[in-house]
Amino acid sequence: MLTFGFWEPVIILAAINVILICGLYIIALSGAYSMATAAFAGVGGYISAVLTANLDWPFVPALAAAGLGGAVLGCIVAIVTLRMKDFVLKITTLAVGEALSIAAFNIKYIGGANGFSGIPLYTTMTAVLLVAAASIFIAWRVDKSGLGLGARAIRDDLVAAASTGVSLRAVRVVTFGIGSALISIGGALSAHYVLIISPSQLGFLYSLNYIVFLLAGGVQTLWGPVLTTILLSGIPELLRFANEYRLIAYGLIIVAVVMWRPNGLITRSRKPV
Amino acid sequence: MDTFLQQVMNGVVIGSTYAVVAVGFSLVFTVLRVVNFAHPDIFMLGMFAGLWSALHVSDNLIFVLVAGAVGAGLSGVVLERVVIRPLQGRDMLITLLATLGVSIILQNGMAIVAGPDPVPYPAIIPQTFIPLGPVSLTVRQLVNFVACAVLLMAASYYVRGTKYGRATRAVAELPEVAAAFGVDVSLISLVTVVLASMMAGVAGVSVGLLYGSAWAFVGLLYGLKALIILLVAGNRYFEGVVLVAIVLGVIEALITGYVSSGMRDVVTFLLLIGVLCFRPNGIFGSYKT
Repeated sequence: MLTFGFWEPVIILAAINVILICGLYIIALSGAYSMATAAFAGVGGYISAVLTANLDWPFVPALAAAGLGGAVLGCIVAIVTLRMKDFVLKITTLAVGEALSIAAFNIKYIGGANGFSGIPLYTTMTAVLLVAAASIFIAWRVDKSGLGLGARAIRDDLVAAASTGVSLRAVRVVTFGIGSALISIGGALSAHYVLIISPSQLGFLYSLNYIVFLLAGGVQTLWGPVLTTILLSGIPELLRFANEYRLIAYGLIIVAVVMWRPNGLITRSRKPV
Repeated sequence: MDTFLQQVMNGVVIGSTYAVVAVGFSLVFTVLRVVNFAHPDIFMLGMFAGLWSALHVSDNLIFVLVAGAVGAGLSGVVLERVVIRPLQGRDMLITLLATLGVSIILQNGMAIVAGPDPVPYPAIIPQTFIPLGPVSLTVRQLVNFVACAVLLMAASYYVRGTKYGRATRAVAELPEVAAAFGVDVSLISLVTVVLASMMAGVAGVSVGLLYGSAWAFVGLLYGLKALIILLVAGNRYFEGVVLVAIVLGVIEALITGYVSSGMRDVVTFLLLIGVLCFRPNGIFGSYKT
């Protein structure tokens, strides 16, 4: 067992965020910047929580079920948003996330407004770090594969990509499926660590955090978003002494990054993607 | 039946404030192509500007409303010059994030200055009921409705009936061509943001007076509503935005009155998802980006 004392929760939460950002990175490869990351994670968390706490499933199958549920949800969103233009697509994912949050708010079986509490503690440092490493590997493989290339082609120019035989439907459905599965598994890990999940965590302001991580790191490389996710997950902990000013500092960081590094922290040397 | 009419009436009053915020929001979206998430927080700044001038200068109603407009208008100038202008022409997500950052700064900054809880607003207008047949209206609701109606009519006149309004519509259509015909695009952008902010500021003061409180995080309630109204209506017609805003206010009031306040937002988002699936450019058409 690895132990890091005070730093353990910080490292675990940062690693969970890395899992989520790998999922979002895969989804965003084709230009579909999903604004429902926290909602997909929350769905995974709720699935795993119900299976383990109410139906007495063991941890690993529950985690797999969460991933499967996330993948199905992701594929549905991909199909619904397939023909939408850029801006409408982003807003639709936002609306889907918000609708899921409100749905969780109104379902009594999963705790309604009070949230789902009494989730068993299963998540360990080792498990989280293993899944995070696997997620980075998966995102890296997808990035380098033909699928990743097709997705980037779609992001750059849909018509040109289609004329060379890239199928928008296949790319969107597969990337949404893989990405959402990772996000939901990350959400399930988080639920088994924090031990409570509430509907407000599915909301749009939480999802925007991941868009900030992604764009601050830059969409051109996988390492950029992973790096900014680790940094931005840790900074709020370092700023704990200045509690009231923490969110103001967060806002200032967003504005500063957007103004001065519009393509993200880490960019490729030639031609912007 | 009386309850029904009363709820419809309340809904129209609330819907009119949604309309003022949403029209400003969609004006900035249409002319500058910016999703301005700081807009509802400028509404909040106007609310507090009115509050402070009422406490420290004078509690004349017109003066307080004007103070709200001035406070919000000045913050609009700063927002446009410091954040929106340098980011013109970038991806919409970039300006969305920047204005969201500004929104976080404004909300939490105001929470440090004024406290994180709602602050009582001075009771400038009496809380008396005016009977109107089967329903009744408070003086505060009436003032709020009249203020919003005047703002909307003024905005409509500005966009349709003045030289600047024509230039604004030209920039919204094709900025390069408008510039080629001698329109100062930078000036029009600034004026648009400032006017939208001033409208929001007046609405902020009037909402503060209506509910008797001002709150640093009130923008959270209005921001998503303004976005949803814009998306459902589409930004082609000014009247479409106003109509959807008022219908939304009425639907919310009816659901709160007859079902529960928890179901209110479910219906709002189902409406949005339905419209985006079947009319992906809004009910009345066109969000060009």
